Amino acid sequence: MKNPKELQYSKSHEWVKEENGIAEVGITDFAQDALGDVVFVNLPEVGDEVTAGETFGDVESVKAVSDLICPISGIVCEINEELLDSPELLNSDPYGAWIIRVEKITEWEKLLDADAYEVFCAEEG
Amino acid sequence: MSELKRTQLYDTHVAAGASMVDFGGWEMPIQYPTGIVAEHLYTRHFCSLFDVSHMGRLLIEGPQRVEFLQHVLTSNVMALDVNEAQYCIIPNENGGAIDDAYLYRFEEDRFLLVVNAANTEKDLAHLCEQIKAYDCTLTNISGEYASIAVQGPKSRELLTKLSGGAQLTELVKNALGTVQMEGRQVRVAKTGYTGEPLGYEVFLKSEDAAWLWDRLVELGAKPAGLGARDTLRLEAMLPLYGHEMGTDPEGKEIPIFSVPLAKFAVSFSAQKGNFIGREPLARQYEAFQKIQNRIFEGTEILPRRMMPITLVQRGVMRKDMPVYQGDKLVGYVTSGTMVPYYVAEGEGMATNYTDETAKRALGLAMLDSNIQTDDTVEVDIRGKRIKAVIPRFHMSVMAPPYARPILYTPPVQGDAAKGANYRSEAFELIRKATENHIWRQKRCVNLIPSENSASRAVQLLCASDPAFRYAEHKKISSFYDSEIFYYQGTKFIEHVEALLVEQMRQYLGATEVETRVISGQMSNMAVFSSLMDFKNRNNRKVTPQRLGYILHNHIMKGGHLSAQPMGALHDYVAVDPVTERNAVVPFPVLPENHYKIDVEQTKKIIEQYRPEFIIFGKSMVLHKEPVKEIRQFVDQMGLKTTIMYDMAHVLGLIGDHFQKPFEEGAEIVTGSTHKTFFGPQRGIVGVNYKPEDLKWGLWKTIESRAFPGSVSNHHLGTQLGLLMAAYEMNTFKDEYQRNIIANAKHFAKCLKAEGLDVAGDPAIDYTETHQVIVNVGYAMGYDIAERLEANNIIVNYQATPEEESFTASGALRMGVSEMTRFGFTKEDFAKLAALMADCILRNRDVSQEIAKLRSEHLEMKYCFNDEEMNEALGNFLGVLGI
Repeated sequence: MKNPKELQYSKSHEWVKEENGIAEVGITDFAQDALGDVVFVNLPEVGDEVTAGETFGDVESVKAVSDLICPISGIVCEINEELLDSPELLNSDPYGAWIIRVEKITEWEKLLDADAYEVFCAEEG
Repeated sequence: MSELKRTQLYDTHVAAGASMVDFGGWEMPIQYPTGIVAEHLYTRHFCSLFDVSHMGRLLIEGPQRVEFLQHVLTSNVMALDVNEAQYCIIPNENGGAIDDAYLYRFEEDRFLLVVNAANTEKDLAHLCEQIKAYDCTLTNISGEYASIAVQGPKSRELLTKLSGGAQLTELVKNALGTVQMEGRQVRVAKTGYTGEPLGYEVFLKSEDAAWLWDRLVELGAKPAGLGARDTLRLEAMLPLYGHEMGTDPEGKEIPIFSVPLAKFAVSFSAQKGNFIGREPLARQYEAFQKIQNRIFEGTEILPRRMMPITLVQRGVMRKDMPVYQGDKLVGYVTSGTMVPYYVAEGEGMATNYTDETAKRALGLAMLDSNIQTDDTVEVDIRGKRIKAVIPRFHMSVMAPPYARPILYTPPVQGDAAKGANYRSEAFELIRKATENHIWRQKRCVNLIPSENSASRAVQLLCASDPAFRYAEHKKISSFYDSEIFYYQGTKFIEHVEALLVEQMRQYLGATEVETRVISGQMSNMAVFSSLMDFKNRNNRKVTPQRLGYILHNHIMKGGHLSAQPMGALHDYVAVDPVTERNAVVPFPVLPENHYKIDVEQTKKIIEQYRPEFIIFGKSMVLHKEPVKEIRQFVDQMGLKTTIMYDMAHVLGLIGDHFQKPFEEGAEIVTGSTHKTFFGPQRGIVGVNYKPEDLKWGLWKTIESRAFPGSVSNHHLGTQLGLLMAAYEMNTFKDEYQRNIIANAKHFAKCLKAEGLDVAGDPAIDYTETHQVIVNVGYAMGYDIAERLEANNIIVNYQATPEEESFTASGALRMGVSEMTRFGFTKEDFAKLAALMADCILRNRDVSQEIAKLRSEHLEMKYCFNDEEMNEALGNFLGVLGI
């Protein structure tokens, strides 16, 4: 799957898409492929504070639990409740299935563009 | 880190795009590109392949192989016959597990022990140390032989294609076989680690491994990795060493009896004698039994036991998460994940699986011994308490071909009685009963071989006054064995019973007959009870010994419940101390015809087991039973074996056209009076003992086990009706029996000619009885039987000897008795065969044509239905006023 050009990517394999001061955060195709079948997503609550470089939830595959690392700091203004019932959306549509929306963004991690992220993934194998 | 080991199939996995991981020092596929969820589901509904070549395969040979294995394993190795496998544990001195394993006996003089991959070296070190004291050898053949698990409902079909149709193993779990598959020898075991009711593990030369794998993939199987293997075994509640066995999170040893399977894997039999860990295991077992009885004092040796657990709130459990009940820590999760399943619709046999899938959070947990099924608990998932319950199980394998998920439902509370209008319900009952009677008696073609309809005379007699009376009676020796009746008003009944005994004595060719038993199964139980009593007659001061060995027809080979340990034999059959299993042995059947007893093999079985009791007779019956041959052989051997023929199905066929059981050498005949006989529903016991015989005492016991042993009220209405049926039978049997057998043969031939797969030997026109069996395809029996019912044809779906359960039935069992009695001729059966083929093969609606065919045959034959009799019956009906 091609990594969309309009998104930004973290080295912990999350993507961010910002519009009008609100950022959507999800996991990349590389991440979902490595995780395998996602069976559960542990989400923060609306109003929770998230910090760049720290966990904001976790995603469980059949095999294991993986932390979700937030690439930005801010306040959660929406969570994707559809994922509670259908966590497999993260596998089937990683760039459509956003996990949280963040407002009042105060800080950004250093992120990669699509091409740089592709190179990074190739290096990680 | 040392170099990872690779199995014979490594290249195959890589080529298939598997994700390879380190598993216990082996580079193994965790999953293939489709993923764990798809692999799990494919196993449950089709067939998956698992490379299990990483497991240790150890061959044990030499004179003291049994003694050695008895010493180092928990199981009873003596119980293992050739072509059987057993689950076992390699115990340590403390009653903990060094490993769990499977022991296979493909050959008379060697055993194959399969151990966990990660434990192989540890096991080898332990076993090689122990074997020094024994005259036998242990060889690690893991390199020379590969092993593949082929699991799922289609596994047998796929493997049987490769064996060219040769049977892989007997149908039961843990059965083994050696077959040729396209020129290569493959050892097949009906074992597995997925919980699939149909699943095999095969062993073959390393160089053949990739070939078999590829051939099975070509046939439709798909590879599955260790990930799916783990979710499958978790759903099946099978323990995994390192999780449910070995050591707990605190590093303490887990006692073997913490895992319920230990009950089957550990033997304390006298034959086994002492073995490693026996003493602590015996103490664990004692505690285990107490806990099962909910006694928790003195069970410290077994503080926790493995139970299934499932979340009722969102989340996923993982190994080592603590489990609480209220504030109390009650244990920890040993395995947990999310497990997928297919969503079902419909109920009972009509349950169908949709394409829709869902997931549930399942686990296994070591919980305090006082935690019970249906208890609510909480799992601490990274600091959050998530609600969970203890289900009875996660899935059930009782209805092959599928392992069926059991979704947790809380225990049901009974509904409070609703206000009812009993008068209107009474009318409703009459309306429905009328409808049913008309349907079954006038519109349906009934082909259930265990049913018949009774004549009008029989029916009226059954409904007359004796139906409401008691007539307990017993022979009293003080009065020269006169029958002494306990109730007044019974002289008519006494007279009737004496006449019935005489009629049945004539019919059966018996010396004595007991007519008070009210069903065929009760007849058998009265006989079993009598045999046991007779066996123990000389010592009443000890608990009586049970019967064994018993030679019988296995239920999977057409035997009836009334001669199985799980049925009527349950309370009468002994347990063999060597095998620790019921002391029954089934009649061997011919390899080319599973409906027919193999007489020569039976003789070998008789020599080996010297059975004290032989029970002929079955409920899926196409052939005469070889009573004469076996009687001769038993007599030649000088055995005192009692030979009984349960003629439930064929009671109405006794005579020149079928068999004469007593002339052929049976001592006891039991039966039910309403299958091929003319009804009503009762049982019968006849014997050929005379007062001078040793076994005369057995006959006297049968009388007393009938009354007071089995009945106080022996259903006098139907006893009266049975006398009329016996008059009818003794009058019309020659013509009736000839027509029954001719009709059955003709019906079978017509069904075959119409393109249906008729079971049995074409050389004898498929059947020698009233029964005809048609194969409609594996697990298709129920659906076809339902379709036929909707078309007014009533048949019985049955599992053939090649199918493991009635839920996987692929056959229709039919009998011609009732329709013959209603006057069906060969031509009528030919018409019926054509309509059935239309319905079965082409799904055509034939309901009206069947109703018409039936409506042409409403008058009962083979009974007294002349004008004079009909007038007498009319008067009788008037008197009855019903």
